Amino acid sequence: MSASVLFLASVAVSCVGGVLALLAGRSVSAAKAVACIAGVAAAICGLGAGAMAIFGEPELVSIATPFSFANFSLLFNPLSGLLVLVISLLALVAWVYGLSYFDEYKKHGVGALGFFMNLFVASMMGVICTDNAFWFLVFFELMSLTSYFLVIIEQKETSIKGGFLYLVMAHAGFLLIMISFFTMAGITGSFEFQSFREHGFSPVIASLVFVLAFIGFGCKAGMVPFHSWLPQAHPAAPSNVSALMSGGMIKIGVFGIVKVGLDLLSSSEVQLWWGVLVLLFGAASSVLGVVYALAEHDIKKLLAYHSVENIGIILLGVGVGFIGMALGQPTIAVIGFMAGFYHLLNHAVFKGLLFLGAGSVLYATGTRNMEKMGGLARVMPVTAMCFLIGSLAISAIPPLNGFVSEWYTYQSLFTTAFAGDAVIKVVAAFGAVALAITGALAVTCFVKAYGVTFLSAPRSDVARQAKEVPGPMKAGMVILAAACVFLGVGAPWVAPVMEHIATAMTTAPTVGSAVGMELVNPAIGSTVSTPLLAVLMIALVALLWGLRAALGTGGTGVVRDPWACGYKAEAEMPVIATSFASQVEMVLGPLYRMRSFMSAQSGKFVALFQGTVKGASVAETAGDKYLVDTVATLVVWLGQQVRKIECGDFRVYILYIVAALVFFLCLSVLI
Amino acid sequence: MTEIIIAIVQALLLMLLAPLVSGTARWMRAKMHTRRGPSILQDYYDIAKLLKRQDVRTQHSSFVFRLMPPLYMGVLLILACGMPMITRACPIPVLGDVITIIYLLALPRFFFALAAVDSSDAYSGVGGIRELIVGVLVEPSMMLALFVAALATGTTNIGAMGEAIGSLSVTSPVAVVVAAAAFALACYVELGKLPYDVAEAEQELQEGPLAEYSGPSLAMAKASLSMKQVIVVSWFIAVFLPFGSATELTIPALALGALVFVVKVAAIFFICSIVENLVSRVRWKYMSRQTWTVVGVSVLALVFCVLGI
Repeated sequence: MSASVLFLASVAVSCVGGVLALLAGRSVSAAKAVACIAGVAAAICGLGAGAMAIFGEPELVSIATPFSFANFSLLFNPLSGLLVLVISLLALVAWVYGLSYFDEYKKHGVGALGFFMNLFVASMMGVICTDNAFWFLVFFELMSLTSYFLVIIEQKETSIKGGFLYLVMAHAGFLLIMISFFTMAGITGSFEFQSFREHGFSPVIASLVFVLAFIGFGCKAGMVPFHSWLPQAHPAAPSNVSALMSGGMIKIGVFGIVKVGLDLLSSSEVQLWWGVLVLLFGAASSVLGVVYALAEHDIKKLLAYHSVENIGIILLGVGVGFIGMALGQPTIAVIGFMAGFYHLLNHAVFKGLLFLGAGSVLYATGTRNMEKMGGLARVMPVTAMCFLIGSLAISAIPPLNGFVSEWYTYQSLFTTAFAGDAVIKVVAAFGAVALAITGALAVTCFVKAYGVTFLSAPRSDVARQAKEVPGPMKAGMVILAAACVFLGVGAPWVAPVMEHIATAMTTAPTVGSAVGMELVNPAIGSTVSTPLLAVLMIALVALLWGLRAALGTGGTGVVRDPWACGYKAEAEMPVIATSFASQVEMVLGPLYRMRSFMSAQSGKFVALFQGTVKGASVAETAGDKYLVDTVATLVVWLGQQVRKIECGDFRVYILYIVAALVFFLCLSVLI
Repeated sequence: MTEIIIAIVQALLLMLLAPLVSGTARWMRAKMHTRRGPSILQDYYDIAKLLKRQDVRTQHSSFVFRLMPPLYMGVLLILACGMPMITRACPIPVLGDVITIIYLLALPRFFFALAAVDSSDAYSGVGGIRELIVGVLVEPSMMLALFVAALATGTTNIGAMGEAIGSLSVTSPVAVVVAAAAFALACYVELGKLPYDVAEAEQELQEGPLAEYSGPSLAMAKASLSMKQVIVVSWFIAVFLPFGSATELTIPALALGALVFVVKVAAIFFICSIVENLVSRVRWKYMSRQTWTVVGVSVLALVFCVLGI
């Protein structure tokens, strides 16, 4: 059994399951069962394939097709293994969750949902592992289309609008990636990635290829300023699909950037400014993403904006990685890429968890508006606990997983600053400060998201009547919550795996990022130990809880209303999402004013697209107007003239014959 | 082994002596107002009294409200174990990384604000939000100042940073001095003293996030707030004022180190008290303008550091 066999099995099961779900469309429960069971089976195969690709030797499989340029090549290396693992894990929980959640979508067609979602997962797998530019683009397009149909599944005006913006941006990115690949293909004369790898491009061409791919994949990743489709499109999809999109699909953007810069251009030199470019875009994305998230009171839009933020954090690590490569310092490169890959995995896990949590809240209350929630922790304890773990993880609170990857990201920034010149020092400091602002704002944002949704008193009837979600949905969330804890507390065992992926991609020697129970930055010897922090926290909190109970002699009591400084407590008094937003806006006003400019960028693409369509329709009719129309008018005119001759009176026809006879007689006499 | 004993002793002393620090501050404030004021032990009396009171919570509050005080104090005890107070180096080095410290401080902040929202009290909620925004305004400057200190000393461990600065072997001394000033300003805002006591502002917010707490929970939360002040001050001392702390683990050196530490903490709190009693509370909406100054100073430190002076 090798990675390729498991991978092909996974893709095949997905496709068959999708088609069967479509065929069973009439019976909702059969379609749901077929789609989910096939999805789970495919995801388990995918998990196996991913694990084998990470730990095994790189494996290149090539299947010839009738077209010489389109050999179906598949490459399994540690990086593609990581992505396959991430997508499969998210797909697994999304399908388990869907067993109950899809009941909400009965009237929208569960069969079609199962078909598109299965195909969506399969196409993402294809993009990750294919090793041929032609097939890469085919799968990339398939991924965009299938996810587009998932976004518009509810057929509401907002979802169709968001879906269209998404489709346009996906194709703007696609176009740039295509130009980038075709440039390489034009020079090497082959669509095989293997030939790109072996060819040393000149710095100008390599830079052109990299920048085109960076912006193209950046559109797909939701990087600022190409992000505004993301908070419109992701929330419109069913919540488990949002988890798959925000946790999984946008990572393919990051994967593409790393693949082009590190893998496809491996025989060309990495330029220093590539890394600086990636780092600066990452810093901007991280800060602006979280700032805009704070202003949202729609829980799924809030989470979608946090995806923009986390893509930024991943890009900070990746940027440091490229800087390390350009400086010829493999240790820095390894720490940077490993921080990026670790955060990629972590973000998939906690963002998946949070979207599933938001889906559960939506399932229980029927609304995404946080102002109408409140007090859900009492009626939905499992969802609340899982959402709290996700919130702590995304806020980078130790000892959970978000902290570990942000720690490595900070360490990578510090390490580059030590090694680089003045410009690198300033850029690294900028990245670290951006990350610090992001961290503090993320804490604020998730106190808001968790506090306003789950704590305090219920603020509407739907919140009062909410019930805990069914078992499969709970199972999906619990799996991811456990993963958050494991990837954080168990970091000393996970970090070496991430390091292995980074060393394999950079062909650098092992640096030793974890020793025993400690995480280490080998370049400057910084250490931290999440297992120790976890043990200390649990022990001390338990001890102090006991101490409070032992020393307090007055007992405990429950009152109906808060004291509220002597005012009569009313249901409208407690803080709501808008309270947070208005306070933050007071401090960060200029960033919100910048938003209109930032958000206009995707709109411009749509305008460009619509302009192109309009231009094309004008251009298309131009031929008609000047050529076809002229000929047609002439023919019609001629016909009308001819009709005058053909008046229908036989005496006139006789006159014509006589006239013709006279004409030809005269002609013969004259000649 | 000695280090672990030092760590535990530090944590215990912090817990036991923090009310003395806040009591002394109250006493000094009274003296400067030419009032007789409470005894410096008043905060111990308050805690003893609160322990006898009932611990009340509202019916809509969840476990977060109950969890906050022990969690807050627990995290501060972890920080006390890693903080170089008596010694120059960190007693437990894995707890002494600057990033770990910044993010460990975010954990109690998270629950402090969350408990405020959980209490259903509007005043608490607003206080909680303000507490979070103070963090947003201060953390970037703190990070930048520490980034400069790290660049100048070649490490991110605060013990090792203190060792380099204490032995005057840093690459860009001017930058370190400016970074120290920026960090001191940021720490002062973080202390929650006037003019920046916006989260607990007495007139506007009536004790802010703690308004709904009572009994032993309130005692624990109040003690934690004074512990946090001592921790923030020790953090500054450990990195930028390590002079006089014990560089070796012998009894006389440790005794001297402890004495010097107490003197330094007392001196810093004395200065803070003077500042606190000379100014009035800044209006909340103008606070962000003042923190820009701190950002400016820390950027200046980075500029000096890049220039290598």
